[in-house]
Amino acid sequence: MPEFSIQSSVDIARRLEIRGSDSRSWVVLLLPSGSSDTALRNLLGDLSSLLQRPTRVFDLRSSSFEKLSEILHEPEDDIVVLVAKTNLDTERWSALDLMRSGLERKGPIILWLSPDCVPNLSEQAPNIRSFVGGSIFYVGPDGGLMSEADRQKRLAELVQFYGLSNKEVVNRAQAKTLPSEPHFVEWLVLLGRGDLV
Amino acid sequence: MPMALSQSLPGGQVQRRDRFRKYMQAFNPTASAQDVIDAGLVFENLHRSLYLNLAGRADLEPGSQQLLVGGVGSGKTTELLLAARWLRQQGNALPFYIDITAETDLSALNSGSLLASFGIHLASWVLRSAGLSKENEQEIKKLYTKVKEYAYGKTERVWVPYDDAVDFDDDDYEIPEGYYDTRKTPGKLKVPLPRLLRDIQSIREPLEKLLGAAWEIQKDIVVIFDGLDRLLAPDKFLAVVHQDLRLLRGLKVSVLATGPIAALYGVGRSIADHFDRVQHLAAIATDSASSFLQTVLEKRGGFELLSRHETDSVCHFSGGVLRDLISLARDSAEEAYISEHDSIGPSDVEKVVQQLGTSYLRGLGPAEIQTLKTLDKSRSFRVDLPANVELLVTRRILEYSSTDFRVHPALLSVI
Repeated sequence: MPEFSIQSSVDIARRLEIRGSDSRSWVVLLLPSGSSDTALRNLLGDLSSLLQRPTRVFDLRSSSFEKLSEILHEPEDDIVVLVAKTNLDTERWSALDLMRSGLERKGPIILWLSPDCVPNLSEQAPNIRSFVGGSIFYVGPDGGLMSEADRQKRLAELVQFYGLSNKEVVNRAQAKTLPSEPHFVEWLVLLGRGDLV
Repeated sequence: MPMALSQSLPGGQVQRRDRFRKYMQAFNPTASAQDVIDAGLVFENLHRSLYLNLAGRADLEPGSQQLLVGGVGSGKTTELLLAARWLRQQGNALPFYIDITAETDLSALNSGSLLASFGIHLASWVLRSAGLSKENEQEIKKLYTKVKEYAYGKTERVWVPYDDAVDFDDDDYEIPEGYYDTRKTPGKLKVPLPRLLRDIQSIREPLEKLLGAAWEIQKDIVVIFDGLDRLLAPDKFLAVVHQDLRLLRGLKVSVLATGPIAALYGVGRSIADHFDRVQHLAAIATDSASSFLQTVLEKRGGFELLSRHETDSVCHFSGGVLRDLISLARDSAEEAYISEHDSIGPSDVEKVVQQLGTSYLRGLGPAEIQTLKTLDKSRSFRVDLPANVELLVTRRILEYSSTDFRVHPALLSVI
């Protein structure tokens, strides 16, 4: 059985960044098993740092449609995460599908779902699934934090590509001479120096 | 070999990012169709200029009613917006494009909702139009209020006389004849309530007067209802549109509406009987007309990052579904960007095809997968079975003509 790919929160942020701030993106992130609220907090932290935009979280199960439509448009350019930690019933998915146009917005919508939501999403909400397309990913444990090996690998790529050491990047950020290019934001976050972004 | 900082900061990386960003903006599967048209990115002949047929008939036959049927992501909204643009350019008819799902909760729609929404658009337009006399303006404002009350409901103070049977003991007490109460009349666009034909008729008069005012300015009116295809079940679709369409026909307003793909098959065929013409927006077969899909990619600047081989792959695995074509083109570039490639390679396309195929696969049981395999092997498919219609609605199976059904190629690649 084929599986959706696993992405780190840094990669999710990079995907959203290259799509542009007003890309109207829909992305589904599937919760790792046994995931806790910490996983979501980690993801939100990384998205905020890397994309330099505020995030908001709402429960997909309990928000009324009128309320959902309202909160998605006020404002409509931040990052909104709609959460369903357990599967929604078929009626709820169908009703969400009917009102997809009312949910469309400039900023990204991230559906933070338990994996058992996906069958109902595909079956009962074909219009939403069509918007999501292939943008369905598992996030790793702890909200998609990179493994230490992956973090070191990515840092090595950046070091090699730019010919700068990690220390030099931090020094430049402290001196405010580091360009605000997304790679450098990512670099600082990977070094645990998101405070310098 | 590391890039020299002087060469890469910010030039090299920024150039690369700008190149990908520009491409990604042209290939946005969730962009508003109007924005894509305005940006000149639409290949208007994709469906053999179907929009011209729709618009032409609406223009020539006032009061005609046409249904545009197509699967999710097939490009219905684009065709309707192109039809509206053509009608405006011709100048004979005034088109109103209404995405009903953006205006109200479609699950709460009932008879009268389409009329209410049309009335709001019509009255707003007449009020904005130049050349209204003061006297007419007052009249139109009153009509606008009536239509708004019909649409959104109203709250009013009403005099309620007491029942004669009410007994007051105190002979000296002056018996009041009644009292004021607050009555709320719910509107069409919010609360779902069963309605009677009589209720529909109450909107007829204000609509007739508004149309009279509009006809003094424009010749004919065409209303385009988008989003009705989300009403997947034929009975729900008919419950919403039947009475409204009858009244609009009587008012000589031409209608273009989207309908669910189920309207073509099985019990859904009853929907078609209510329309003068049903236009089918089929998936585009990649084997016979692949150049059409290539042109869509070319028009958006796809060759900036896609080679000829990858272009062919993206076209093939899209199955000729417009939104899937745009999604695969966008996602391939995203994958290449994340992987630090300078352009889209075969591995990038392969990854995103698997992602898309897997998203179609989820939710399918063994019986359905067997149906897909049988179809792929023998081209045999019974479209009269409700379970099979479901496979069409959810795009696991694509319809290229009334006799040509195939498994979505991205899904086929993972089963």
